[in-house]
Amino acid sequence: MTYLKRLPKFEYVSPRSLDEVCGLIAGTSDDEVMLLAGGTDAILQMRRRERVPRRVIGLKGVAELEFVRERADGSLAIGAMTALHTLLSAPAVSQRYDLLRETTAQIGGPELRNVATIGGNIAGALPCADLPPALMTLGARIRLSSQRGDRWLPLDEFFPEFGRTVAEDDELVAEISLPRPASNSGGTYLKFHDRHSMDMTVVGVSAFVVLDDDGRTFRDLKLAYANGAPTVFRARRAETVLRGHALTDEGLEAVAETACAESSPRTSWRANGEYRLELIRALTKRAIRLAWGKASSRKGTKP
Amino acid sequence: MNEQIRREFQVLGKPTPKKDAPLKAAGRAEFADDINMPGMLHGKLLRSPHPHARIVSIDTSRAAALPGVRAVITGKDFPGVRYGNLPRTRDYLPLAIDTVRYIGEEVAAVAAIDEDTAEEALDLLQVEYELLPAVFEPEEAMKPGAPQLHAPAPGNISAHTESQFGDVAAAFAEADYVREDVFETHAVKQGMLEPHACVGVWDSFGKATLWSCKMSPYTVWRQLAMGLDIKPSDIRVVQTYVGGGFSGGKQEAMPMDFCALMLSKKTGRPVKFVHTMEEVLTIGHMRHPMKIWLRTGTTKDGRILAQHCKLLANGGAYSSIGGFSIFLAGAMLNLPYRVPNMKFESDRVYTNNGFCGALRGHTVVQMCFARDSQLERIAEDLGIDPLEIRRRNALHDGDVTPNGFRINTFAFDECITRVAEMSGWYSKRGKLPKYRGIGFGCGAHLSGARLMGHSASAAEIRMLEDGTVHLTTGSTDVGQGVETVMSMIAAEVLGVEVDDVNYLKVDSAATPLDPGTFGSRVTLFTGNAVKQAAEEVCRQLAEIAGERMGVDQQDLVFRKREIINRKDERQRVSLKEIVRWAMFQQGRVITGRGTYGASEEKIDFQTGQGNLSPAYNPTACAVEVEVDPETGFVDVVGLWGADDSGTPLNPMAVRGQVIGAAVMSIGHALYENLIRVDGKVMNPSFRDYKMPQATDLPKLADFQHANVITWEPEGPFGAKEAGQGAGTGVIAALANAIYDATGVRLTRLPMTPESILFGLKGVQQQKGNRGP
Repeated sequence: MTYLKRLPKFEYVSPRSLDEVCGLIAGTSDDEVMLLAGGTDAILQMRRRERVPRRVIGLKGVAELEFVRERADGSLAIGAMTALHTLLSAPAVSQRYDLLRETTAQIGGPELRNVATIGGNIAGALPCADLPPALMTLGARIRLSSQRGDRWLPLDEFFPEFGRTVAEDDELVAEISLPRPASNSGGTYLKFHDRHSMDMTVVGVSAFVVLDDDGRTFRDLKLAYANGAPTVFRARRAETVLRGHALTDEGLEAVAETACAESSPRTSWRANGEYRLELIRALTKRAIRLAWGKASSRKGTKP
Repeated sequence: MNEQIRREFQVLGKPTPKKDAPLKAAGRAEFADDINMPGMLHGKLLRSPHPHARIVSIDTSRAAALPGVRAVITGKDFPGVRYGNLPRTRDYLPLAIDTVRYIGEEVAAVAAIDEDTAEEALDLLQVEYELLPAVFEPEEAMKPGAPQLHAPAPGNISAHTESQFGDVAAAFAEADYVREDVFETHAVKQGMLEPHACVGVWDSFGKATLWSCKMSPYTVWRQLAMGLDIKPSDIRVVQTYVGGGFSGGKQEAMPMDFCALMLSKKTGRPVKFVHTMEEVLTIGHMRHPMKIWLRTGTTKDGRILAQHCKLLANGGAYSSIGGFSIFLAGAMLNLPYRVPNMKFESDRVYTNNGFCGALRGHTVVQMCFARDSQLERIAEDLGIDPLEIRRRNALHDGDVTPNGFRINTFAFDECITRVAEMSGWYSKRGKLPKYRGIGFGCGAHLSGARLMGHSASAAEIRMLEDGTVHLTTGSTDVGQGVETVMSMIAAEVLGVEVDDVNYLKVDSAATPLDPGTFGSRVTLFTGNAVKQAAEEVCRQLAEIAGERMGVDQQDLVFRKREIINRKDERQRVSLKEIVRWAMFQQGRVITGRGTYGASEEKIDFQTGQGNLSPAYNPTACAVEVEVDPETGFVDVVGLWGADDSGTPLNPMAVRGQVIGAAVMSIGHALYENLIRVDGKVMNPSFRDYKMPQATDLPKLADFQHANVITWEPEGPFGAKEAGQGAGTGVIAALANAIYDATGVRLTRLPMTPESILFGLKGVQQQKGNRGP
């Protein structure tokens, strides 16, 4: 039986600063110590005994990990402990990062968005997570912190395989940075689930389009997928198919075809791989069209 | 006459909010889990991790030694008497003794000072199992050499029924048109929001009391006596508020009930059990998955001459009421149609899955899905309008079906007409944009079944000195509004306000005996008993008032808390005054009793012959869908239903019931699916067991319901059932609508986006093959 049991016994610590967190995780292993962000997945994992940490480090009290800030270089900095609800209500997000707003708004219901965090959605390394595809297509970089110092890396490179990240045991995701989107750009995140709302993603597609100055061709297209493979991933070959070209039905078919070839969705009791591929095909085309439409309507507006 | 009576209603027929609504909305209704008693312990159940195994040994010593644990029990702590519903299907034990038959079956129980300690103790229980081969599909289970689940059931046949009416072979030979189809349905759960919960106290006098959220407390009472092997009179069952029932286990005694009492006996303390939602979704009680083979023969113009149905039901590990489940499927095969010749053969098969029983609409839901899907195909093949074929075959008032159902009122034709109007059927069918479709589906239900054992209801009314009314029956309000409608019936007769009637919850020590709340029986059966009890009170009060007023008691009417001389309305006296005079001066106890038996006619359960219910109600509905051709996703954009629920006594509650029934069927058809892999439930949470949410349903403006009002002579004030029938036609309507939108005919539930998408590809391929 996989009943949700009571929580296992563990020691709970609640540090107040990032330094303190780094000190607490330095020299420990993942099995021993667990970082707790919003806990919407982690608590279930503990109750299913998939994780039985000796010590849980609650990040809620680390104020310096919770911020949404525009930097001087025009980029957006988001603290890992920023709750989804906070992201939704940040003016910078709704003004300039519509793709992020739209994706966040589609996750769960208000109760869940009040506790779930952006950092947790990334660090959980689940292939069905909704934020990583959107963030990848927005060109996100993440800051990993440890006692050894900080390092930055593109989010694209964060998930080497199912359920894992490249973060070392002594590192945590501290910050997400998004470059300011080009003025003639637009993106959308489409996800399919069995019900109309508040449901687990069967397949999610994020498409981000940058138009050429004339607005007639693709300067850039980025595509990333939830549940398209054992990890969230970018379909890099598919992204190149339309670069420099106008939007055509044949072009879209070719992108979708390539994206399917790059995907390796699994068959589980939730959905068959074959069906997920059909969804990838359909949603890729739809997402690109929608993103193109948004980019076109934004063309000429000030960034 | 009927119209006139209705116009004269004082209380009935007016939309009346449920009496307990403010209490529930404010969170003040006390559910079983809200009960706390001094010294109360918390119980937890150890469940089998194996689908089929022999219990070699159970070592409870480590668990018992855990600080905070007060008692540990296993199956051997009970007398080993099997309990259940029908004498030949008693196969439940309070806890497994030597064999477990499905993943989740109860093996041991612990009582401790808190829930966490009790759960920790479960981890310390050491059970040695010897694994046995398991079988999950009925076809496999019936094969020679298959693992046998129960010794008295060779071939794993849990129940078998066969019936034949008319000359089926001759009718098929005569038919112009014959078709056969196979339909498959899946396992769905009740999904009530309140999990099962109980508190048990075994007192020092040897009396056992159980407080629990039971739909049918007297069934629980009897089953507890059976499984504990004590006298029913030593047991008391007290009903708490019920947070939804749907026959998800609250109609029977469950292992938690036995364990709460036995652990209380061992510890001398009250013991509470509350299931987690994961337990609720894992254990037994769910809708039967079925394979339905249906052969129908008609004339050229679509008149049904004969139907032959073979049904195979996956019963799971235990009987529950499965024997009746498959009997009912056969009995209701024909309704709402005239089928002169019918044959029905069915097997319910034991498998190593959670067991099946009833769920809103019982097995009528699956049969209507099969039959009304097939009827649509027949109409298409014969070039008949789908509504017309239904009209041609409709049952009418006064019909007697070949299996002996006597149809009093049955406004099926009018239901069809109303749905056609409300849905705009004729302006939509065949005229909607591509991938949008509309489908029709019909069904029927009965207002309580005449069962072999206990089927009568009773009510008792006692007048209080303040002129208010104390009303007891054995029927429970499970959220459907029994408290309100029974109060309304009493208030109507006694000429008082609904709030003057105090409807008490069932307490086996105080309330009249009753089979319980199931099968849509309460409004009709218990309602008649309440009406009769109130009339008896009126008779007594009229006698006293007549004497006091010097008026012939025949001339007295009860209205607005007064007793009035209808010949001279100036002559009136307050009800309260008469009650007080009778009590204070005459020492009388003003009580009235009423009964409703409906048992003068016996059903022959061997042949299936007999009038199963006092009343039958037809239903029709149309559903409009839009299908996304690239993903197969379905939007239910509109649902229009009409029912003949007789005369709706509380139209507000009727509306809630019919919409609720329709919504449950939408969930069954499109979203809900208890996924089991080798007997293990993969999705035991409301995240993964997908009940429809508000966003999955049509907007309220496109979700309409009409009552076609009839006056059912058997019903109290003309009423029939409203809680189940309305859901029976919905699944076929959805299947027919999806077919209309896409050309994809789905015969297997649930109708998933995947099956629709791949179905569409098949349809497109066929078109391609046919060439331009």
